[in-house]
Order: sequence, then C-alpha cells, then structure tokens
Amino acid sequence: MRALEMRGENISLSRKQFKMNQNVKRIVRKIFTAAGIVLLAAIFYLAIAKVYPFNWGVVARYKSMFLKGLLITFQVSAVSILISFGLGLIFSIMKTSKIEFFKDIASIYVWIFRNTPLLVVILLTYYGVGTIFNLNRFWAAVLALSLFEGAYMTEIIRSGIEAVDPGEIEAAHSLGMTNSQIFLSIVFPQAIRISLPPLIGQMISLVKDSSLASVIALGELTMMGRQVGTSSFATFESYIVVAFIYIMLTSVLSILGRYLERRMSLA
Amino acid sequence: MSTIVSLRNVRKEFKGFEALKGVDLDVESGEILVVLGPSGAGKSTMLRTINYLVKPDDGEVYFEGQRLSTATLKELRKVRSKIGFVFQHFNLFSHLNALDNVAIGRVKVKGESWESARKQAMKYLEKVGLTDKAYNYPAQLSGGQKQRVAIARALAMEPDVLLFDEPTSALDPSLVGEVLKVMKSLALEGRTMIVVTHEMGFAKSVATRIVYMENGQVVEESSPQQFFTFPESDGARRFINSILERV
Repeated sequence: MRALEMRGENISLSRKQFKMNQNVKRIVRKIFTAAGIVLLAAIFYLAIAKVYPFNWGVVARYKSMFLKGLLITFQVSAVSILISFGLGLIFSIMKTSKIEFFKDIASIYVWIFRNTPLLVVILLTYYGVGTIFNLNRFWAAVLALSLFEGAYMTEIIRSGIEAVDPGEIEAAHSLGMTNSQIFLSIVFPQAIRISLPPLIGQMISLVKDSSLASVIALGELTMMGRQVGTSSFATFESYIVVAFIYIMLTSVLSILGRYLERRMSLA
Repeated sequence: MSTIVSLRNVRKEFKGFEALKGVDLDVESGEILVVLGPSGAGKSTMLRTINYLVKPDDGEVYFEGQRLSTATLKELRKVRSKIGFVFQHFNLFSHLNALDNVAIGRVKVKGESWESARKQAMKYLEKVGLTDKAYNYPAQLSGGQKQRVAIARALAMEPDVLLFDEPTSALDPSLVGEVLKVMKSLALEGRTMIVVTHEMGFAKSVATRIVYMENGQVVEESSPQQFFTFPESDGARRFINSILERV
C-alpha cells in the first residue's frame, strides 16, 4: 500500500518536472528566436549602413517634434475611438432593430463608408465639409476617422448582437421582461463581450489609419516624421522612429484589450 | 378548483405548415397535465401559445380569465411573469452566474433590489439542490444542473403555473433523473404544471391527466391509467406501442 502511494507521488512529481521542462524549453526556444531576429536585423542594418550613413544624433535632436506628433496622434485616435465606438453602437442597434427605416439608414451608412477610401473621406471632410462648417484640421480628421471606422464597428457589434442565443431572449420574455430590459441586461453585455476582440483590432487599425491625416497637414506623428526627415535629411531614421512609436502605441491597445477580454471572460 | 389556462380553437401556421389546427384545452389549478404525442404534433407550439411566446393566428388564449389577444403589452408581461417556462435547451443567460440567472427576473420584473433578490434566489437554488453551484456560470454546469437552475429561475418568479417544454430531451440519459426528481417534488407541492415530455414513467406516475396530440390537434384526453391501458384512438395506441417496442 505504502509503496503504491509512493509510486503515485513519484508519478505526479515527474509529471510536474516534465511540465516545468516543457516551459523551460519553450522559453529557451523564444529566446533563440528573438536572438535570431536581432542578429538578422543587425546584419541587415550593417549592410544598409555601408551605403546609407545612419545619423541617429540628428533624430535625437528632434525629440520634441516626435513627442508633439505622438501627442496629436494620441488625441486624434482617442477621440475618434470614442466617437466611432458610439457610432458603431447606435448604428448596430439600428441595423438589428425591427424598424425597416432604421435598418435602411444604418445599411446606407455602412455601405457608403466601407466603400470609400479613408484618404478620400479625409479629403472630403477637410476640403468639403470643413470649409462649409469651418472645421479645423484636428476635428476634420476626427470626423473622417470616426465616420469611417464607425462603419466597421457597426458591422462588428451587429454580428455580436446577432450571435446572442435567441433562446436567451425568449427566456427573458418568458420572465416578463421589457424589450429594453432584455436588450440592456441580456443582449448588450454579451454582444460587447463577443465583439471585443475584433473591436480592439479595429481600434488598432484606427490608430494606424490616423497617419493618413498627414495629408491635410495635421501635425500628427507621420507628418512630424516627414518634417524631421526633410529638415534633417535623416529620412530613414526618422521613419524608423515613427514606425517604432506606432508599434508601441498599438501594443498598449492590444495589451489593454487582452486585459479586458480576460476580465469579461466567463469565470 | 378554478380554470387557470384555457385555449379555444387555437390555430397557428408556420410558412404553410399548420402547427395547430384548432386546439381546445382547459387546465385547472393544481393539475399536472402531461402532453404526449409524436414530434411535429404541435405540443411545443401549443405550450408557447399559453404565454404568447407564439401568438396564435386564430382562436383565443385565456390566462386566469384574461383574454390575451386583447391584452396590452404591459398586461402581457404581467401574465408572462406569472407563467414559469422551462425550455428544452435551458436558455440560461450565459453571462450571468447561476444565482443571478435566478435573481434577475425578480430584479427586472418585480423591481426588487439585487441584494434581496439574490437572497431569495439562494432559497430557490437550495430547492433544486444547487447552492454549491450558485457562483458558477452556465458553461461550468452539466446539462442536468443547467436545467435545475432554469427551474429555479422559473420558480423565483412565484408563478401560478409552470410550463415544461421537453425539459429532459436535451440531457444525457444519466442526468435525466435529477431533473425529473425536482419536477416530481414540485408536483407533490400541489403546483399547477403543464409538461410536454417523452418520459413515460413521469407521465404514468406523476400526471393527473394526459393530453395526447397529433397533427396539431388534441386527439385524446384521459387519466394516465386509462391512457396507458386502454388508449381510445389508433394514433395513441400506435404511439404507446412504438415507445414500448423501443425497449
């Protein structure tokens, strides 16, 4: 009996060890991959450096311009994320409503903005709508981004709403709940949970798409990068910095998204 | 005894398929009515017309004397809150734990606070033997546990009648017993129940009356003893035989 128990212990111990070994192996593999990529990048960099004289000192001198660009990109993106999410909510509710008129309005909105290039939408809002309503560059960019990304968010949230089990809605009716109660406490929380991953993806797209606002000379990150490049002649360096900042910015969003997903996941 | 549910010549058509072809039915309070019949007979549709989850094309449904076809939405919701409905596929709210699934009706429909509704909900979970699963989400429960939570959810509204739509049909055979046990205990409390099921044992031992349906019509109504020993219609005889042969 005792021997058996001990054997059992041994088995579980070795299983634990096996699992630990697996983890160590995984981490080692990741370190090797990272080292490989760094090595490759270094080789690449040195090869380019032979023909292109990298001058990072110049870029460092323009630090404040990058920061200013980052700030504007952050502001445009943050405001646009809020507004486009709001638009997505409103139009997705309209699209899933039973009233034909609301459905049509929402469909037309999505149809227009999913079928126009963002660049054109930005030009239209700044040079068209902007001149009539006296919008400055910032708000023209916000308006364009919000309308454009809002159309995608509409579709994302709509599919989330439609993914909620109709049986649950029936059950809510059988309890005697009102339509608005059912929407707010049964459908909506689940729809948001279901559509969270693609929504975060769309928000990341929005941050990257905001670089197109440089065409209306809004001083966001891409625009600043170009200015630094042209005035310092260190174009390559400047755009590398810009790309790096975008990656950092969007990474924060994905980490936030993963945190929210974990928090909203069912137990 | 008073009549709690009445159907008068209820008809319902789904895209050219006549699910109900004029059903008449009266259910007295305290009855355990078991509805039997082959699939496609209109049993579930009939059950759903009682709380107007399915609105009949023609005919009248009365709940406690109130005619539902002329009821306002508000009156209809009031009626629904007095009718407990247990679904074949449980239909628990998957974003809420067991306790909140049971409590939410009291909060949203009866206007109770979450705190007191949860306290009450715990009592109903105790009734179905699931207090230890109160904070589990539906995805973490077995089919039998889900269905017992769904029964607790229906009970929490303190309904005048309970409707069961094939409550054990989606369950693993090994989990059917725990749900039937709860249903039996409810029957012993003297609750009014209308049960659509294929559980012949339950029908035989618990039902006070059997209604046999076929092709959208009520074909036979009788006591369980009479129904299982001397079925009147050919259809009922075939149905009983087919079930006995299955063994």
